[in-house]
Amino acid sequence: MQSKTRAVSLLAIALTVFFAIDPAQAWSQTEDKPTQDQTKADSKASSDVKSTPSDEGQLATVNNAKIPAYAKVYIAAMPGGFENYVIAGLRNKKVPLTVVVDRSKAEYEISGVSESEKAGWAKMLFTGSQQSNETASIKVSDLKTGAIIFGYSVHKGNSARGRQSAGEACAKHLKQVVID
Amino acid sequence: MSRKQTLAILLTLIVMALASAWAKDAKNAPPSEKIPSGAKVFIAPITDGFDTFLKDAIGKKKVPVEVVASRDKADYEITGTSESQKAGAAKKIIFGNWHSREEASITLSNIKSGEVVWAYSVHEEASTHGQRSSAEACAKHLKEAIEGK
Repeated sequence: MQSKTRAVSLLAIALTVFFAIDPAQAWSQTEDKPTQDQTKADSKASSDVKSTPSDEGQLATVNNAKIPAYAKVYIAAMPGGFENYVIAGLRNKKVPLTVVVDRSKAEYEISGVSESEKAGWAKMLFTGSQQSNETASIKVSDLKTGAIIFGYSVHKGNSARGRQSAGEACAKHLKQVVID
Repeated sequence: MSRKQTLAILLTLIVMALASAWAKDAKNAPPSEKIPSGAKVFIAPITDGFDTFLKDAIGKKKVPVEVVASRDKADYEITGTSESQKAGAAKKIIFGNWHSREEASITLSNIKSGEVVWAYSVHEEASTHGQRSSAEACAKHLKEAIEGK
């Protein structure tokens, strides 16, 4: 009986020490705050998504999940080579992530779509703007669990620097879910 | 279970927890790699032949790297994308601008480790010298990254 009590207390101490040493990891795994409801059309899968309006797009975090700093991230190919702009954006916005070119070495994967529409003659004539219309959407998934932990979409009607702006917007918002 | 045995188990568990935490820290250590001067770089084909402009710009801007034709001989690889759009009639008539719109983004990765060590993107709404300008911008910033400016 006494030895059983000791064993239980030892286990409790070991767990306490483990969580005390690595609070970030423990926090990201255990925290599960309630998230606000979205539209009724949203299914059960999206019920954990927290939506925050921003100037540029829509930010979504699932279960307030966080990415540890300098985690290895693989960026999948996107239409129009947008992945290059995302990588440049990560560097420009000083996002503490390590980008790898080999998917098997990565812990997380960023994938997405993008579309760029150049200003036509009508836009130039009526609005006096020759800037492009940029739309992009990215998601970050944990390669081990397969869970999507972050999603973000950006739309810029008059993008000052084209796809570069969209890539930097994605990087800026991705930085919010990285534990620095 | 004696008191000594209990202490030994407790110590072992603490050491294991510490080792686990250290391993996690080491795994996610910030990449401290700096591009060495004189590194062998392979430039992969980029859309619209931008790689040719980039090779020329690297020579023109005196970037301290050696461009090699074979990927096997290289330490680093440059990949990327570019887009060039000539000025249309509307741009010429409404804005009086004949210059092209240039966009490019390049990534420098270490072939051995597979890590991206540097990246840069450029956008020029009215590029004076077309793709040459954007390639030179990439080369200029690569040189700054190597020289640590």
